[in-house]
Amino acid sequence: MKILYTDWKKFCGIGLLLILITASCNKKLDLQSTRIADEEGHWSSYENARSGIIGLYGLTRAALAQNNTHWICGELRQGDFKSLQRSDLNAVISGKLNAGYPLLQQVSNWRSFYAAINACNLFIERVSGCLNDIRYTEAYYNLDVAQARALRAFLYFYMVRIWGDIPFSTSSGEGGNFDAMSITGKDAILTFATSELKEVAGKLPYLYSTIDPDQIFPSNYYNESADYWANAPLTRLAAYALLAHIAAWQGNYIDASIYTEVVANNYTKSNLDYVPVSTLVSPSGFFAGGTNNYRQLIGFNFTKERGETTVDGHIENLTLANTNSFYMSKKLPDIYVDKSTIGNLFPSTNGNDDRFGYDFQYTPALLYTTYFENYNAEIPVFKKIRVVDGGVNTGQFAVFNSSIVFTRLEEILLLRAEAFAALGREADARNLLNTLRGKRSIDPVSPLLSGSQLIDEIFRERRRELMGEGWRWYDVVREKKLLNNDPTFNAMVKNGGIYWPIAQEVLSRNNKIEQNNYWK
Amino acid sequence: MRIKRFLRLEGFLLFVCFMTALGRLHAQDSTATDSEQDSLITNANKESEFGYEPAKIPVRFKKTAINAVPMNLITNQPYISVAQMLKGNAAGVYVQEPSGEPGTLTNILIHGAGAPLLSNRELYDQQAVVYIDGIPQITRNPFVYDIQKYDFNPIGSATDVLAILNQNNIESIEVINDPVRLASLGPLASKGAIWVTTTPAVPRNIGIAVNSYFGVVPSPNVSVTNAAYENDFRRPFYNQFGNASRRLNYPAFLRDSTNADYYGPSNWTDLYYENTPIYSADASVTAGTGRATLRGFVSALKNANSADKTSINRYNAALSMNVVPYEWLSFSTKIDYNWLSRKRNRNITDRLAEIRYTPDLTNPLTPNKNLYGAYLSAFNGALDNNVNHVLNGYLATAIKFGNFNYQGRIALNYGEEFRDAFWPTVLNEGTNFVSNYFGANQRLDLSNILSYKLDVDANNSITIYGGQHYYKDDYKYNYAYAYNGPNDFIKINVVDYDASQADYLQSKGFIPYFFPSMMSTSLTSFDGNAVWDLGNKLKAHVLVRRDGSSTMQLGYKWFTGYGGSLDWDIKETLLKDQDKFSTLYINGGWSRLGKTYSDDRFSSGPQYRADLGWGNEPTLGSINGIAGLSRPYSTGWVGYEIPWQYVDNFNIGVGAGMAHDKLKVVLNAYNRDDKNGLFAMPVPVEYGYNSAYKTGLVVNNKGVDISIDATISAAASHKMGWVLNANLNYNQNKLKALPGGVNEVVIGRNKFVVGERIDQFWVFENQGTFSGTSDIPQKNGVTFNYQGVPFQIGDAKWRDVNSDNVINNDDKVLKGNYLPKMSGGLGSTLSYKALSLDFQFYFALGRKVLNQYASKRLDFINTEVANDINSIKEITYWEKKMDLTGYPMYNPWSDVVPYRLEQDIFLDDASYAKLRTVSLGFDFSKMPGQASNVFKRSMIYITGTNLATFTKFKGDDPELATYNGLYTGNALPMPRSVILGFRLSF
Repeated sequence: MKILYTDWKKFCGIGLLLILITASCNKKLDLQSTRIADEEGHWSSYENARSGIIGLYGLTRAALAQNNTHWICGELRQGDFKSLQRSDLNAVISGKLNAGYPLLQQVSNWRSFYAAINACNLFIERVSGCLNDIRYTEAYYNLDVAQARALRAFLYFYMVRIWGDIPFSTSSGEGGNFDAMSITGKDAILTFATSELKEVAGKLPYLYSTIDPDQIFPSNYYNESADYWANAPLTRLAAYALLAHIAAWQGNYIDASIYTEVVANNYTKSNLDYVPVSTLVSPSGFFAGGTNNYRQLIGFNFTKERGETTVDGHIENLTLANTNSFYMSKKLPDIYVDKSTIGNLFPSTNGNDDRFGYDFQYTPALLYTTYFENYNAEIPVFKKIRVVDGGVNTGQFAVFNSSIVFTRLEEILLLRAEAFAALGREADARNLLNTLRGKRSIDPVSPLLSGSQLIDEIFRERRRELMGEGWRWYDVVREKKLLNNDPTFNAMVKNGGIYWPIAQEVLSRNNKIEQNNYWK
Repeated sequence: MRIKRFLRLEGFLLFVCFMTALGRLHAQDSTATDSEQDSLITNANKESEFGYEPAKIPVRFKKTAINAVPMNLITNQPYISVAQMLKGNAAGVYVQEPSGEPGTLTNILIHGAGAPLLSNRELYDQQAVVYIDGIPQITRNPFVYDIQKYDFNPIGSATDVLAILNQNNIESIEVINDPVRLASLGPLASKGAIWVTTTPAVPRNIGIAVNSYFGVVPSPNVSVTNAAYENDFRRPFYNQFGNASRRLNYPAFLRDSTNADYYGPSNWTDLYYENTPIYSADASVTAGTGRATLRGFVSALKNANSADKTSINRYNAALSMNVVPYEWLSFSTKIDYNWLSRKRNRNITDRLAEIRYTPDLTNPLTPNKNLYGAYLSAFNGALDNNVNHVLNGYLATAIKFGNFNYQGRIALNYGEEFRDAFWPTVLNEGTNFVSNYFGANQRLDLSNILSYKLDVDANNSITIYGGQHYYKDDYKYNYAYAYNGPNDFIKINVVDYDASQADYLQSKGFIPYFFPSMMSTSLTSFDGNAVWDLGNKLKAHVLVRRDGSSTMQLGYKWFTGYGGSLDWDIKETLLKDQDKFSTLYINGGWSRLGKTYSDDRFSSGPQYRADLGWGNEPTLGSINGIAGLSRPYSTGWVGYEIPWQYVDNFNIGVGAGMAHDKLKVVLNAYNRDDKNGLFAMPVPVEYGYNSAYKTGLVVNNKGVDISIDATISAAASHKMGWVLNANLNYNQNKLKALPGGVNEVVIGRNKFVVGERIDQFWVFENQGTFSGTSDIPQKNGVTFNYQGVPFQIGDAKWRDVNSDNVINNDDKVLKGNYLPKMSGGLGSTLSYKALSLDFQFYFALGRKVLNQYASKRLDFINTEVANDINSIKEITYWEKKMDLTGYPMYNPWSDVVPYRLEQDIFLDDASYAKLRTVSLGFDFSKMPGQASNVFKRSMIYITGTNLATFTKFKGDDPELATYNGLYTGNALPMPRSVILGFRLSF
């Protein structure tokens, strides 16, 4: 005990020391996560708005890219592509959309579209908070909200094309309890989309980040140049292009002709132009996207330098394979256009088509390899879109950077020709069609071409021009509706057979919706 | 950062105190006699070997705690991880090794799982915590999976950081599942705890020990196949259902029967399986007398599998020291460093999972040795370095002051992980791939415990403990990968580190994808407990604790846990004069203990994150390089008001010892409710969210643990000794509630119904084949169909549970379970004079797996054309892992996918029992007439492992399934090994 008293101080020292070490730890429970941005303080700065608006585009891109939805829904059904081995793709092509393949279940699940829509709703509800930041001016605010509304209209239109009647909401539903939403009719939704787009079109610029004398639009949008943005965010013409498509989808060709006129008359203001075939098919051309590519009227880019290279979300994933001039380890493509279809679509009577014709530089003349390679083999390879690994690499590393392009000038002008034909302005239709045919070096159509034959020829031109761009199925629907001569198809239009079934998972989570009648 | 500085400062101060104490000790060394000193250190150490111990409950049996691993069995076994040592050796612990690859991750579940194992994250949250010398070991946080496309393995070395213990440096491994003891350990131990004590530096251990073994893992006999086999397998399908176009698409590698590459000899096994040496050597020195002892331990080890040249190397050094400068003051310290390096498998799946890219898989590897050899030679130019460093250290002090006792400790557990991978162009379609990973996990652990013992009289005492703990966990990783480097010789991305240069940190020739991430969490606890001891007859224990965690939201930071237990020694109280029972007791306890979240993202409520990717591209976060943020649509909505999860644990046990404790039986019944669980509930997808995290999951696990330890005959000079240890756990789990009062929920391939088990498979019931058109029912003119696709001849006949003429998810039933209902082990030691023979069985019964291997082989049409990660054919494609005859013949081209995995023909009984080891030893020091031997022990032994498996399962090994019961056939087989070793101590 003697020792104990003499060392009392030491004892206290050590004991207190250890107690002190931990006494302050109590305050250390407030650790912020570095991996997320929390609610507090969000929507209060210029950066928040920027990351928010980019998030909308990113989610939209994800919705179209995931499972190659843009092509699975748009290109395959009753289209020009055939599947070689993939039973799931074959099921889509032959319209058996309820077949038991995982891919079909995934595509028929619309969650990712609603994620983008929910993000738009939230953005519109909350972004006004960013006005607290003096850098986030009224001009930014108006432009961003206009974009979010336009994007939301685009998403709703895109979904109506796939599923018809769908749940609809313009609220993020936050603070609620994830209550099941019921179905809204497709017409109501398209009416909403039309009115939204009409309202915001004027609030969108022809070009971003340009000097605006009226000072309506920010001059240096989020510190990036006009070349940087190109037409990647939605422009005024994009809004009109969408309006035209919504009208055409509803069979309202008068409005379609009016809206397409805006594009036809103003496209130079958006630096938009015709795309020569050489640019269209170049690995560093139209589909490579990136900055300074104004020709994508509505497009979603995957920039290699920014780490946005992916495997999914590109038609190349399905169409590319080894060819004589482009080595790839994949021997055969998943989908291809067979030779008889090619021959039928590009008849020699049209003249020497830039897209599929003869190159007379050589004797004997060689076939162009703009759209197809390996034509002489059993399975030709569709290579119109081939942006492999940034477009610089050979095909040994099959990752892709091509943009998902919703529309471009040619597409809108063909829609305009379609509208003219539908409205009986056949001369205008022929003229416009011939202009476009001229761009592809094929002969003008006969001046006598009219009625359903003219309509058919316009749609044939669309097939040639837009092959692989996710239009084919929607074109089939519009053409059949326009011609109204196919009873089976008419029945399908009536009972919802032109739409996709709704995924089991979606149905099981929402008791207010039922499977589309056709697929029950 | 502050905490590190803080640690440095305080650590330094403590170190100074420690050195002062040492100096003090030196000065007075000669004052006490040796025997006095011996007793001093022994007593001191009882109180504070590590400065931190779970609440004490009475030691039931005089010599051993019964839920401890019998060390004599495992010391002669070539096992390297805690999980392997526990396997079959302790009641209530279920260990499943999903692969036989040395050093891979292994799962330890105590008393089942408290939540459905939907992903690796849930699996991580259900793992028991391992304490090594009282330091809860930090393991890799599952947040690394966030950036992964496939979660077969975590990025990084994927080495089991619990593979750091050498049997010869372990004093004991104990399983803690007593409610009050767990509660005294705190939230980290809410899923049960494994309490490992390394051999302490105490006088009884003084001496030198050298142990070593050397052995071989012989290559197994496997039956191999070639293309002819596969061709014969597929031909009937083509004969019955093939048409011209289907025949046209016959796979290229099977098409040409003269192609010797595929149809030739199948001798790849010569290169894949090899006799592989394994070894281990360790030495320890324990020295000191009286008031200071010191122990040093070093070891080196190689463990290997004969398959695919996989192995792990481990070096370890540990130093521990105890100092008792005064009667009332003691210090102990330990530092232990481990280096682990692993040679991983060359599976294509694992490689492509990291590369995130699937090349064309049309032509598989050939079974031909020469071609396979050429393929393997490409790995000469590859890099695959996986290194882990694990450091454990503590400095503890105990101070006695009258009836007060103070224990304080600073401990640190730090692990680093490195992986450098490079795969040259030839392995990957002309594109090379490089990835580098650095990860660090650190746990700082500070604790103070003060106790006061009030002796009312000789048979009545009350001890009160008050404790305070602080844990700070830091997880961090930096991961970068790049494709298409300049050539196959530049294997790393060298950058300029000079900030003044224009090319500062710019990569040359690579476009790296870089993912840095870190997470810090902290946990503070205050606990008090009191033990009322009535002379060993009755002991009552109450405990209250308050835990605060940084992973909780404001207003929910703190949780109060409490519990109590009662121990009644019947023998002491009532049967003192009776001879029948040498021990008899009954005890019961209950506790409520909070459970923290392993992810810090729940702490802030609604949030935003980069979520612009999708399933196959999880890391996409920008458009044109500008980062975008959104709500966490794919990972799930996180709201406010998330309370603590907690565990209500109840246990009642009876222990009996008979014939002087030669037969010891312990029976424990438990009931555990994991309550308030946070669960990602599916919500209507029209809000964009995959799920919303809601609280209110309740999962119940109840069961019985039985341990038997029987000395059937005690070893004596001319008598055979026989000791049997057996343990058995029977466990039932049940989902008691889902968040929001929902009765059932479907998540992906799983369905959970309140009142049912949480680990069931959700499958169609197969009832045969549609062999004729008349077989296919018609109802109201509609053909029996699969979600609208009419069934045809050659399709599977699934039971239409709800009789609506349509087969869809509503017709799936819950069947089978992947966690075993019964698991345990049986060990035995026979000894005669110097000779001993040990064997050990391990079993898991009442468990099923879903046979993805068979499904994939039979569904070859869809598997092959999908060209995704599931289409990969490893070299083991040419091994006959399972007999596939006996499955019905379906049309593999059918749109209903008749060979789909989720049906009960692929649900296989995976119960098994294994003869895990047999060991024969000879201890020279026990030979008659060796009493004066200088050796305390000098033993040689021979051990064989993984000797036999008894099972109905048709695949290669029923244990080799994923944690959620998927048998893929891709796992490396469990190694069978034979080792020869010696153990010397003097």
